[in-house]
Amino acid sequence: MRTDVEDLVLRYGEATALDRMTFSLAENKIYGLLGRNGSGKTSLLSVLAGFRRETSGRVRVDGRPVFENGALTREISLIRDAGETIDIGTVGDVFYFAEWLRPRWDGAFARELLDLFGLKPKMNVKTMSKGQRSALGVVVGLAGRAPLTMFDEAYLGMDAPSRYAFYDALLADYAEHPRTIILSTHLIEEIGALFEDVLIIDRGRLVVHEDRDTLLSRGTSVTGPAAQVEAFTAGMNVLGTKELGPTRSAAVYGELDEARRRKAAEAGLELGPISLQDLFVHLTGGTSR
Amino acid sequence: MRFPSRLFAAQAWFAAMAWLVLAGVIAVIVLAVVLAAGPPRQSVWEQASQVPRWFTLFVGVFMVREYLPLYIAHGQTRRRFTGHLALTVLAYAPYAAALVTLGFLLEALVYAAAGWPQALDRAHLYSSPTQVHLVFAEYLVEILAWTSVGCLLGAAFYRWGAGGILMIPPAAAMILLAEGSVGAPANLPMLASRLRVDLAVYPALALGVALLTFLVATGLTWTLIRDMPLRNRLA
Amino acid sequence: MGGMFDDRSPIYRQIAERIKADVLSEALKGDEQVMSTNQYAAFYRINPATAAKAFQQLVDEGVLYKKRGIGMFVSPDARDRLRKARRETFFADVVEPMVTEARAIGIPLTEIIARIQELED
Repeated sequence: MRTDVEDLVLRYGEATALDRMTFSLAENKIYGLLGRNGSGKTSLLSVLAGFRRETSGRVRVDGRPVFENGALTREISLIRDAGETIDIGTVGDVFYFAEWLRPRWDGAFARELLDLFGLKPKMNVKTMSKGQRSALGVVVGLAGRAPLTMFDEAYLGMDAPSRYAFYDALLADYAEHPRTIILSTHLIEEIGALFEDVLIIDRGRLVVHEDRDTLLSRGTSVTGPAAQVEAFTAGMNVLGTKELGPTRSAAVYGELDEARRRKAAEAGLELGPISLQDLFVHLTGGTSR
Repeated sequence: MRFPSRLFAAQAWFAAMAWLVLAGVIAVIVLAVVLAAGPPRQSVWEQASQVPRWFTLFVGVFMVREYLPLYIAHGQTRRRFTGHLALTVLAYAPYAAALVTLGFLLEALVYAAAGWPQALDRAHLYSSPTQVHLVFAEYLVEILAWTSVGCLLGAAFYRWGAGGILMIPPAAAMILLAEGSVGAPANLPMLASRLRVDLAVYPALALGVALLTFLVATGLTWTLIRDMPLRNRLA
Repeated sequence: MGGMFDDRSPIYRQIAERIKADVLSEALKGDEQVMSTNQYAAFYRINPATAAKAFQQLVDEGVLYKKRGIGMFVSPDARDRLRKARRETFFADVVEPMVTEARAIGIPLTEIIARIQELED
């Protein structure tokens, strides 16, 4: 579903969680939502899903406001690690309510996913491990087939084999039933290749919204003798520098044209890519705050 | 709005299980009394019938605290949830009242077979446990009031956290009124005998009071949850 | 991810390079169908749009062609085109860096030529 966010502000009392965000999400793409702890990821997704009302601004899905709009919210799913959809009774009870309230629920698919994660219908959700609860949330999120499906760190408690099983199930089901998917995550190295577009937020503001490959092409590391690196990167958007003896490496942000690349080669500088994870770290304030 | 079959079914099943446990415990107590002190001189189920008040209060709190987040996370509106909640309470009260009444009838059968008197301890809407329609009416009034007040408290504590305590006085007032209408002391902690509302006891009046309590409590519940945010993380 | 790709260039370009390598080695032959974008996406655990971008690049370069509603196929002349293109860049891509390297570390060109003749025999 098409999602339009305009001047979105969310405040908790005095604290501003979301600060005038504006962006649009296209239909049937997989988005990565990246941000540091407390940057506003959960707040943003909660507003998109109608879990909370925006303080000001507009949140529209398919052109209509989301909050308390049942025709829309039935088609929107957000799975958070607070576990709202999986908190009562047994796995069977969780499915009992999901199939009743979710218009596109696929029970056969849900049971298939249950097997995949080694869960049983008789398991009591209160006595499950964190990983099992995360996996059950993922099952509910995938089998609901909502046209706008969001996972907020929902797979954080899962171990690596379970996470990879989740990525595979997500891709396979997305291929058969395309829908808009937003994944918020810290596991950028692991999941980054799944994104078509990336949104980076920092302190409640939208920092980047870009096609993943375009974003990656903007980041370049320039490595060589300190003086040459200094001269070459003068006037460029330098995100950060590292030094090792006489060698300096600068991370620059912005497209480098052929002429500049040639200039770098002539100056004996080595140009390299920056990984999504490193780019994220640089764009959200470096390694510490 | 269609009847919220699954929300009701879950509560109905839960109540049936609780009833079985309660009936089992009462049977054991009666047996122990008989073995230790001889035949009982009054109804034991009458004492047990105070349990449903607190149980249904808890059910009201539980439904808001657990099912409101479930509904919203499954893309349902607060409006729809409140409608489902009200319908469930309306169906649940007669259902649970019927279970309590059934307890009296089973006790009457056992007592009659053994030749024990099923005497009552205090005033009620009914004067004998076999006045089925009056027994049912009394517990219908009680359970309707306690369950809907439970929903209100559940909403207040979910919304305001510890500040939900502010809702306790009005909640207690509603309970006292409903209890007074069936001639019963409210048995609220601390306030037990000093605070009680003495109303002339008429079944029609009692049912009217119960319906009013339901409407007021549900109306207040709606004002609390109509724009309520889901907590980011439950404590 | 999963160690299948390096960070040196966009994933779609690396996929395109792999398909080209398969065409050159004749693991993929002319008019043979290649896997779908979804199969590629599942296999490499990447977004299907990334795989689609690789295919689009290869269509633009004439390595693949599209049959509507069926899928992607290797162009009959793909291998010849790729060989020709590689021949054109062979000296710039392979020989010149080798000569630069040899000079930097002090290997005389005559020694290199001798070695090449040895390999030829």
